[in-house]
Amino acid sequence: MAMIEIRHVFKWYDKFQVLADCSTQVEKGEVVVVCGPSGSGKSTLIKCVNALEPFQQGEIVVDGVSVGASATNLPKLRARVGMVFQHFELFPHMSIVDNLTIGQVKVLGRPRELAREKGLNLLARVGLSAQAEKFPGQLSGGQQQRVAIARALSMDPICMLFDEPTSALDPEMINEVLDVMVELAAEGMTMMVVTHEMGFARKVANRVIFMDGGRIVEDDAKDTFFGNPRSERAQQFLAKILHH
Amino acid sequence: MLAGFDWSVIPASLPFLGQGLLYSLQLTVVAMTGGVIFGTLLALARLSGGPVLAGAAAVYVNTMRSIPLLMVILWFFLIIPLLTGKPMGAERSAMITFTAFEAAYYSEIMRAGIQSVSRGQVNAGYALGMTYAQTMMHIVLPQAVRNMLPVLLTQTIVLFQDTSLVYAIGAKDLLKAAEITGRNYNRPVEMYLFVAVIYFAICFSLSLLVRRLNRKIAIVR
Amino acid sequence: MNYHWNWGIYFQTVQAGEETYLDWLISGLGWTLAVALTAWLIALAMGAVMGTLRTLPGRAPLAIGNAWVEVFRNVPLLVQLFLWFFVVPELLPRDLALWVKQDMPAKEFVTAAICLGLFTSARIAEQVRAGIQSLPRGQRMAALALGFTLPQAYRYVILPMAFRIIIPPLTSEFMNIFKNSSVAFAIGVLELTFQARQMQEDSEQGIETYLAVTVLYFLCAFLANRGMAFIERRTRVPGFIAAGK
Repeated sequence: MAMIEIRHVFKWYDKFQVLADCSTQVEKGEVVVVCGPSGSGKSTLIKCVNALEPFQQGEIVVDGVSVGASATNLPKLRARVGMVFQHFELFPHMSIVDNLTIGQVKVLGRPRELAREKGLNLLARVGLSAQAEKFPGQLSGGQQQRVAIARALSMDPICMLFDEPTSALDPEMINEVLDVMVELAAEGMTMMVVTHEMGFARKVANRVIFMDGGRIVEDDAKDTFFGNPRSERAQQFLAKILHH
Repeated sequence: MLAGFDWSVIPASLPFLGQGLLYSLQLTVVAMTGGVIFGTLLALARLSGGPVLAGAAAVYVNTMRSIPLLMVILWFFLIIPLLTGKPMGAERSAMITFTAFEAAYYSEIMRAGIQSVSRGQVNAGYALGMTYAQTMMHIVLPQAVRNMLPVLLTQTIVLFQDTSLVYAIGAKDLLKAAEITGRNYNRPVEMYLFVAVIYFAICFSLSLLVRRLNRKIAIVR
Repeated sequence: MNYHWNWGIYFQTVQAGEETYLDWLISGLGWTLAVALTAWLIALAMGAVMGTLRTLPGRAPLAIGNAWVEVFRNVPLLVQLFLWFFVVPELLPRDLALWVKQDMPAKEFVTAAICLGLFTSARIAEQVRAGIQSLPRGQRMAALALGFTLPQAYRYVILPMAFRIIIPPLTSEFMNIFKNSSVAFAIGVLELTFQARQMQEDSEQGIETYLAVTVLYFLCAFLANRGMAFIERRTRVPGFIAAGK
């Protein structure tokens, strides 16, 4: 069974359709990159996976749990799915290490000492041990995003969602974040990544999904997508983005 | 002009004025604490309650905000004994009134504060598996209070000044104490001037504090 | 709840006199409107002056404007009212003081209107200052470059725009002035709150009394709000979106 199953998902804001008949899946250990022009619905789709956005029709199943079912304990489900946001969303009123422990303590019920130790280990892993007692506002964007990844990892997630993790960063900071993500992929983490970083996709993705106008237009193995995209829109998109 | 004044009345009246000031401060602290708590609940009801709860909270807040505080004081002083069946002193009645009234004003501040925390922060809380209550408690409200601290304090200064309106039901606050001593010593002019100075000293120093806080917050951002 | 309702009370005559309670309420409404509107004119005029002072070059105008705002903002309105009523006449020259105390017509009304007007002017001054400072600096320079004097620049360019920008906070201040006028009862202005207390004692129908008065205050707030919305529409500058709350 796939880790993430998305079946015929539709979503509307009032009458405006943002997702139309989206179906795909992410297998355990797979890295799937989702790309497409802005407004294509890719961020909305990934937020549907852990129910940060509701959808009106269709079904999403994460590790056997239906996201849209009313009986589903959403906090419990979300605690197992890590998410990294475009604007980092570190909690500005807490120190870095507190950002890494709050979820463990309040959601997982881990003892504070244990949580802190784990947080510091993860911080070391993303190369930011020295920043533990600082506050988010004192870190660069790239550093904040690495902390955000560590925060998601602190919950021992079964899979990770990345919503444009590098698009709010200055160019010189993008690689430090991508490096952490590449490492994560190499360790076998299941990942669904909304991004325009095609270099990253080439390096680690198993599959690439291309969205346009709320629909999944292409859903291919990496080599097919880059070598020979079927739809004209994907070709145009690739031409634009790769010429930069 | 000032030659005709007799300032000796002031030292003589200090203990009595002190009692009045103490009550004014008590009333302020009670109404602020209760007002912030109930105000936050009202704000949460308006922002994330169902349509009925949100509507009821909105009606409450808007009603309180369109009536003069003096009328609210009179209303509560009339209604509380009718509902409970026994008379209630002006001092206690005022505590209930001010808590209920200030909750409406604090709720508007807290509502703005909660809305000043970005949707992304809420999502980040949820994404960690936090419940609504946990996300509010640990993520949103601490930031909301921090963002709104200067406004909350300014409202508290206004509240402290407004406590003088308990005059209408005869509760013995600072102003009432000044009036009584002024009458007893037949020196109302000196007494009114003196309490004005006391009110000014307290409110002005508090507002300087708020201004410093504002600058500090501006730097942190 | 042990309460005898009497919804006909409004049309009954008062204990000692020919009038009905409704007459009391209507005259109360009249005094409330008179105090609030007079005070509003004072507040707008002084608020514009003091707010402008705080944006002028030089230390003295700023200091005067700041002192004005701090004094009126940091003393409770009711205390200010007592100061104007009991204390200020004592500070006047002898003859003037005597005239104020004995012969000044509608003494309570005049005192309340001045007090409330100046109290509110401090709050308006603050908004006017913020409004002026929110305008692009180029506006002042452009006006001066055209050869306007500084007063002309304020009169024709800066203030007209600043006042448009601050209409939303002015609206709530205008609604506040009706509510705040209720303190005038304390020096014996026969406005709504005074009538509320008088009718409650006279008729012993507290709930009916307060309900009527509350509705009348609501009406004032509503009309004030609509009135300002009308002005906002009439003065709107095409293509300019007012930055307000």
